[in-house]
Amino acid sequence: MINIIQTRLIQWKKHSLQLLFWLLFPIVVTWIVVTVGNTFQDDMKIPIGIVLQDDTILAKDLYESIHATPFIRTYTLDEREALHKLEKHELDSVFVIQEGYEEHIRQGSRNALITAYESDVSLAYTPVSEMIMSYVQQDAGRSKAAYAVKELAEQLHVHFDWNWDDLIVRSKEIEKKQDLLQTRLTFPGNGIVHRDEGKNLFQPWHIWALAAFLSTLLLFDWVIKENNPAILKRFVFTNVSPKSYFVRNMYVYIALFFTIDLLTAFAFKYIFDEPLSLTLIVSILGYHLMISLGAFLLALMIRKTFVYYAIAFILTFISVIVSGAIIPLDGLLGRYPWLHFLNPLAAFLDGDFFHIGLGVFIVILLLWYGRKEEYHAAS
Amino acid sequence: MLQVEALHKSYGNHVILEDITFTLEKGDIVGLVGENGAGKSTLLHILATLQKPSKGKLTLNGMTYHWKSLSHIRRQIGFVPQEIAIWDHLTVEENMVFFEKLSWKNKSKEELQNLCLDMKLNRWKEPVHTLSGGMKRKLNLAISLIHEPKLLLLDEPTVGIDLKSKQEIASYLKDLATKRGVAMIYISHDMNEIMNLCDQVFCIGDDSFYDRLLTQAGQEVIRL
Ligand SMILES: Nc1ncnc2c1ncn2[C@@H]1O[C@H](COP(=O)(O)OP(=O)(O)OP(=O)(O)O)[C@@H](O)[C@H]1O
Ligand SMILES: [Mg+2]
Repeated sequence: MINIIQTRLIQWKKHSLQLLFWLLFPIVVTWIVVTVGNTFQDDMKIPIGIVLQDDTILAKDLYESIHATPFIRTYTLDEREALHKLEKHELDSVFVIQEGYEEHIRQGSRNALITAYESDVSLAYTPVSEMIMSYVQQDAGRSKAAYAVKELAEQLHVHFDWNWDDLIVRSKEIEKKQDLLQTRLTFPGNGIVHRDEGKNLFQPWHIWALAAFLSTLLLFDWVIKENNPAILKRFVFTNVSPKSYFVRNMYVYIALFFTIDLLTAFAFKYIFDEPLSLTLIVSILGYHLMISLGAFLLALMIRKTFVYYAIAFILTFISVIVSGAIIPLDGLLGRYPWLHFLNPLAAFLDGDFFHIGLGVFIVILLLWYGRKEEYHAAS
Repeated sequence: MLQVEALHKSYGNHVILEDITFTLEKGDIVGLVGENGAGKSTLLHILATLQKPSKGKLTLNGMTYHWKSLSHIRRQIGFVPQEIAIWDHLTVEENMVFFEKLSWKNKSKEELQNLCLDMKLNRWKEPVHTLSGGMKRKLNLAISLIHEPKLLLLDEPTVGIDLKSKQEIASYLKDLATKRGVAMIYISHDMNEIMNLCDQVFCIGDDSFYDRLLTQAGQEVIRL
């Protein structure tokens, strides 16, 4: 292994600045994005118009939920004004909480609760409307449950002082308590991204994960540059077969990433006051291992570096979107759960060590390595 | 030291090599000629364990070619590929050190530099992409010699370089054969070079053009 490190150093010497740049890229980008994000917190949020026509508790609660969503800045307006601003593209989209919202929810009717408007340049319309729908769904579900309790009580002939409002309030209280309990119990494992904690607009580890995704892919371009069939023939007449040359160099890269990751974890603790724990570190390493293996396998399949770079940027872009870095996708995820599997950051952000991708990549790597070398002699 | 018996190679129905038999002794320099596509590179790749023969028995210094003995056989073989197989962005020194690190034999930087100087390759600190074709060819050869192979297989090692460099390489190879007993198989399309360097010439393929040419010039030719 020491000889591989020596040959690696010879290769690194040629582009040491580039190497250093991409190694530090995730930590620097995270720092910049989080700092800038916090400075211009309000300007960076998506402006949404809310027209509150129903003057009930349920409607106000809904408004509060939307208002509390990070990445969204709400403006309360009347409908005419809101549509006017939407036309001038001052608002991304407009949602009207219709008169009789609570009444309709009580009656179990889901029609015409909310009217939504979008313009031809609405970026956030779909995710935001999905998110609002999920809040409405919650309200509707709660209401249904309240009625179910009432019915049950009647069936059992229990004397029950039926009050819809009380039940709803109680249900919300229980929910809050459970939330509290859950965050306590699973902190810090599940606490890599604290959506509810309004400290930073952008979650440092989320930004880091995306930046590391890109930098890891780009750093693995050595696989393409060194995948030279003529030169690889030479490895047959050395101590190291072509395949083990690649695999051992991958180990060197992963070891380097791990070292930088540990430093990053400590740095984030001091810069952003992010909690540091063994669970967190294992998640980081698991995540970085997964993207390293993925990048390695991808690079093995590609001959031209520019094709590889293009794919790297496209994959990063997709990850930025599906991981919900720009616009929260909670609502959309409820409807299209498969989006979760597309998200390479999913396991990491959930605080799990193991993403299905890691398993898949390990299996592919073993199959590739186990297949006999092209260069083979008489048997 | 090298015995080849009844070697066959075909791709599907396409027969490339048929019933090839010959032996090579220590210090022999053998030329291998034949028209394009005759199968010269294929034969060299098989001898270098880079390709499998379809049939036949090969033995090198008493070791039969077999996957179990592969790594021992490979230690004794130096292979100079037809393409220039070096890292373009590294210097001569870095290329030599790179392959020395992976090699079975450890060599000091001085030894590596002397190896290059022996064939008049003196641009030690310069990046390969700034070198002339002749210099690159010399480095291509030098890297293959780091582990001191007993059998050297050269696939058009001097193609496209000037006469002076060719002669420098030829005299180096002759030295290697006489002083260290390295056996060589040397593929070339340059008949002057072949006649100057080789003790024997093998000819493969259906065309007898080279055959006649060399015989006319007084060179003994063995048809394989
Ligand atoms: N993998 C392969 N599959 C099928 N045919 C092949 C394969 N590799 C080589 N050949 C064929 O084998 C024949 C011999 O090729 P080879 O490279 O050994 O010729 P050569 O004598 O070295 O020619 P040149 O002088 O052009 O280098 C050619 O006809 C070539 O098309
Ligand atoms: Mg050839």
